[in-house]
Amino acid sequence: MARIALIIGALAAILYPIPLQLQGTTYYQTVGFLVLLTAMLGVGWNVIGGWAGQFDFGPQVFFAVGAYTSALLYVKLGVDAWLGLPVAAAVAALICAVLTYPLTRLRGHYFAISTVAIWMIAQPIGATWDYIGAAQGLFIPVKPRGGVVTSALSLQFAGRTKALGYYYAALALFAVTLALMAWVERSKLGFYFRAIRDDQEAAEGIGIDSRLYKVIARSITAAVFGAAGVLYAFWALSVFPEQVLELNWSTLPIMATVVGGIGRLWGPLLGAIILIPISQIMSTTLGTGPLAGRGIDLIVYGLIIVVIAAFRPTGLLSLPWSHWFRRGRAATA
Amino acid sequence: MTELAQALVNGLQMGFLYALVAVGLTIIWGLMEMINFAHGEFLMLGMFGAWWLSASFGLDPLVAIVPIALVMFAFGVLVYRHLMRRVQGGDPFTQIFATIGLLFLLQNAVVAGFTSDYRFVNDTLLQRLGGARLQALGLTFAVPLLVAAGLSLLLFLALYLLIERTEFGLALQATSEDRDAARLVGIRPQRMFAVAWGLGAALVAIAGAILVNFFSVYPQVGLQFTVLAYAIVALGGFGSILGTLLAALLVGVIQSVTVVYLPPAFKDAFVFASYLLIGLLRPQGLFGRF
Repeated sequence: MARIALIIGALAAILYPIPLQLQGTTYYQTVGFLVLLTAMLGVGWNVIGGWAGQFDFGPQVFFAVGAYTSALLYVKLGVDAWLGLPVAAAVAALICAVLTYPLTRLRGHYFAISTVAIWMIAQPIGATWDYIGAAQGLFIPVKPRGGVVTSALSLQFAGRTKALGYYYAALALFAVTLALMAWVERSKLGFYFRAIRDDQEAAEGIGIDSRLYKVIARSITAAVFGAAGVLYAFWALSVFPEQVLELNWSTLPIMATVVGGIGRLWGPLLGAIILIPISQIMSTTLGTGPLAGRGIDLIVYGLIIVVIAAFRPTGLLSLPWSHWFRRGRAATA
Repeated sequence: MTELAQALVNGLQMGFLYALVAVGLTIIWGLMEMINFAHGEFLMLGMFGAWWLSASFGLDPLVAIVPIALVMFAFGVLVYRHLMRRVQGGDPFTQIFATIGLLFLLQNAVVAGFTSDYRFVNDTLLQRLGGARLQALGLTFAVPLLVAAGLSLLLFLALYLLIERTEFGLALQATSEDRDAARLVGIRPQRMFAVAWGLGAALVAIAGAILVNFFSVYPQVGLQFTVLAYAIVALGGFGSILGTLLAALLVGVIQSVTVVYLPPAFKDAFVFASYLLIGLLRPQGLFGRF
């Protein structure tokens, strides 16, 4: 049953942009790109937030680290994006490990604020450090390339296939992230993370080094954010501090995770599919009318989050779907 | 040398304003141990209320404090009754989500109603004092900030007495320490939490009405104050009213002294660096009791 759903879902995700491409409405491919990017970030945040149970408000720092690392490699050394991506993810994870180890002395709210603190310190550094372009940031020049294969290999799509190319790149990265996290969830690591979340003292009692595993969990999150940052940088063709260090890079994935189901592998995808199109649909339907640009989409986000928190804090995936589904079938039979 | 001394004075004056913003959070977060990420949005509502009353009725922000505090008290109680009470018993994460949702809702409801434009309240009582400067010991004291600092100190004193010296304050403390035991001696915890939320919202809205004399008003104004307020409360030690005041003064001084030596962009970075340093060396905060 689950396998059939997975195959149908994967087929839908692969086929989705093709009619749009024939029609020429590439705008909706970009919506799909943003959904997948947000879902990928949410799957990454789930590791520290959902499984290890530590509230992390500052993963956007590692999104920025990834974006800057790949942009620097490309601009200064001419290293292509796909080669830069594992480097960027590793750098993000390493910086995260060094920064997070001292923070793990703090627990609960204090840990959450300390992740905000790191973000607050990163912002002026990004805005004043000349090597990375200070407030102007770095521009990623598009190099004229040959056919589809070469632009796919260098993660540089332009012109009519730009939206299509980045959609598939996001889909591939999301799929790899999901597969890796599915493996982490079932591995010893995943069980350690959840043991620390459920009862830190008991976990330590059976010999789990809680500080070490919190650092590992957050570094995995950072690696995913770093990789996503690379994709975003090459899509946006520029990296500057106000853009990559924006708070939205943590609030949107966190909200998507919560709406879908925190601690559930597929939760962030469901949440992103619900939340991200809302703002895109709003901006097209409101157009230039009196309510355009008045944050109506964010009011809807706020309402959804408040209602979920008040009535189903474990998220939509935690609703008894299989029970309803079976009862529905029994009734029709 | 005078430059540094002047920075200290300016920092202390700002610190009193920060203290006012943080004290509402001390009650909700520090004392009652509930999370409110919409704290800055309560502040923003207070600021918008003061702007609106001034723009449409010509009410001075200092006079507007009274209606704003009353309305926001009721609002705080409502938020507790209809939202926070539901999420109180469960996972602490749920409180974070609920109030982040509230943050988005309030902030953008104001955007929808008033747009994101910057607004200013002009010609207030405090601003008319604006030209006045006190010169002492070769330092300059801006009178409006001094008056605001005095108001802030007064509110702090009142709150300190309320929490530490009255039966109501003891009941609040008892509720935060052990809800079931409090119930046994006839305290109704739900009512205590509702009043705490009302008080917290009213206090931060009062802070907003005072801040409009010095800051412009726009829907996104809250977040910068929220993050500072959380750092201040944690620095000062949970639930310690005096600690909050001292931590707020410290934060004001760190900001103004940083600006003397580094680009202004770094002023919050140093506040948070100190938070990390103190948090790691002394997790209970500067003046925490445990």
